[in-house]
Amino acid sequence: MILIKLAWRNIFRNKRRTLIAAIAIGIGLAALIFIDALMIGMAENMVRTATASFLGDAQIHREGFRDAQEVSLTIQALDEVTTDLAQEEIVEHFTQRVLASGMITSPANVSAILLVGVHPPTEKFLSQIDNAITEGVYFDGESSRDVVIGAKLAETLEIGLGDRVVVTVAQAESGDLSQEMFRISGIYQFAGEEMNNGMAFVRIEKAREMLAIGNAAHEIAIKFTSLAYARDPTLPFWETYSQHGNEVLSWTELMSQLTAILEMTQYSKYIMGAILFGVVVFGIINTLFMSLYERMFEFGVLRAVGTRPFGMARVILFEAGALAIVSIGLGAIFGFVLTAVFAQVGIDYTGIEMTGVTMQEVIRPVMTVEQFTAYPVWLFIFTIIAGLYPARYAAKMSPAAAMRRSF
Amino acid sequence: MEQAQNTDVIVTEGVTKVYEADGVPVNALNGINLTIRSGEFTALVGPSGSGKTTFLNIISGLDSPTEGSVWLAGKVLSEMSGNELSDFRRDNIGFVFQAYNLIPVLTVEENVEYIMLLAGVPKAERHDRVIAMLEAVGLEGVADRTPTQLSGGQQQRVAIARAMVSEPQIILADEPTANLDSKTGADLLEMMRHLNVETGMTFIFSTHDPMVMEGATRLITLRDGRIDTDETR
Repeated sequence: MILIKLAWRNIFRNKRRTLIAAIAIGIGLAALIFIDALMIGMAENMVRTATASFLGDAQIHREGFRDAQEVSLTIQALDEVTTDLAQEEIVEHFTQRVLASGMITSPANVSAILLVGVHPPTEKFLSQIDNAITEGVYFDGESSRDVVIGAKLAETLEIGLGDRVVVTVAQAESGDLSQEMFRISGIYQFAGEEMNNGMAFVRIEKAREMLAIGNAAHEIAIKFTSLAYARDPTLPFWETYSQHGNEVLSWTELMSQLTAILEMTQYSKYIMGAILFGVVVFGIINTLFMSLYERMFEFGVLRAVGTRPFGMARVILFEAGALAIVSIGLGAIFGFVLTAVFAQVGIDYTGIEMTGVTMQEVIRPVMTVEQFTAYPVWLFIFTIIAGLYPARYAAKMSPAAAMRRSF
Repeated sequence: MEQAQNTDVIVTEGVTKVYEADGVPVNALNGINLTIRSGEFTALVGPSGSGKTTFLNIISGLDSPTEGSVWLAGKVLSEMSGNELSDFRRDNIGFVFQAYNLIPVLTVEENVEYIMLLAGVPKAERHDRVIAMLEAVGLEGVADRTPTQLSGGQQQRVAIARAMVSEPQIILADEPTANLDSKTGADLLEMMRHLNVETGMTFIFSTHDPMVMEGATRLITLRDGRIDTDETR
């Protein structure tokens, strides 16, 4: 107890030095908390952008469709699948889609597109196209000849709202070409280039008719009640809907590139953490040695009057621990304030594309309990480890040499 | 070497200490043979560099001799481990240094009770002994003060209280009056002499102070690491 008291009071003997060291260590901790919060915010933002724009949290396809893009590969047992999905507690919304590669032709130009047949009442829960409309409307009324396209495609085709276009696709089975005339009913502006330039949305009934696929669908996009379900491979959901020749994939598999990037950011966080802790460790060693050299004679006296070598080591380790506690207090306050401020203000990366995902919202750092528990615990452990070297030095020190060295 | 007698608290035989100074060996002590008996009030004198502090360090186990042996209270110091030496010093030797004796972040009471804390003496007993010891050295009412709130003379009295509180057999003092004015030094010396007579503890000083030399019952003069004279009064 006396050694703890001694250590705690010792670190406040040179208040300025202790404060500077604690601030430096605290800034390291605050930086780590902020970086972690920022990365969580960025990852959530990217995932939300990727899944909410059009992808959904998960998708069901016929096996092989994603590679072949063959219009005849429609989802098997569609009625059974949709009936089951409607009863799933973890599924908040789902929508059917028909997908086909085709051509869109205006009087001025022609462009390759992905024709997407959607069911507007359910599609609005799975994509943000309705929110991105800049001209016209998103499938208002009953007209089967409405088409909604991106602003960039409209520019390429040199057309505007109300203009007519012809869409050509190949029918399933026969491969015969099917052409239909549509009227531009809405133009949207998305941050992502692919959606702006390469997609055209029509009602699903019309798309089915053009492709001659009856009531079939190529894709069911699913939104879960919680995004966490998409990252839980143990859910029975994945097996249940990977039957009848269908496959269900979460966004982590559908956007494996994004998943890889997110995993990589985790590693980069660890590397940054290791660098920060490394700097902190050397700072602590330096501080403890400076403090030790300043009090050499005192250490000699403590040894002379009967403090065992391990007792001397404990004094240093307690000092390291006391320094860590002060630093953690400061670091947690700095980290909280910094993260809270940026969580309010946000960091604007909108319009910037990262790994195929165009950020559509400002990034807001996300605070977690772990940042204020695990990191401080790690910092404390690292500080104690850093203290081992000066502690060993103090334990090994000859009392006579310590007293000689102080003059 | 014969086994030390009961009254012989310190016995040295052929104690030699060689330091390396910039790669050059320096003989600080050259084969010191000495016996200090229980209750002696001994002054070690000699010019700077004569080996007084080195000798005190070696007989207290703070430093080890290059050659020779030291018996202290019947124990051979060189045969003890680091922990045994620490415990032995705690239980048998009290130290008073020239200055910077006290731990500035501890109060007077905490400084004095520190050794008893190490020895695991119960709190109530510690407190009683500290108060009694502070009274004995004439420092009533300063237990809660820190060393920086005391004068140099008072700090040395606290150091003496700390050295004596665990009732060791030997008190080693390295120039205890060097940083004090002559009156304070004289008072301190008188107090130590009084405690020596009262308790029978053995006191060994290194000093340049003629007043301390006059008060000593035995005067050992060191010169170039050797005993030059050894006079008992």
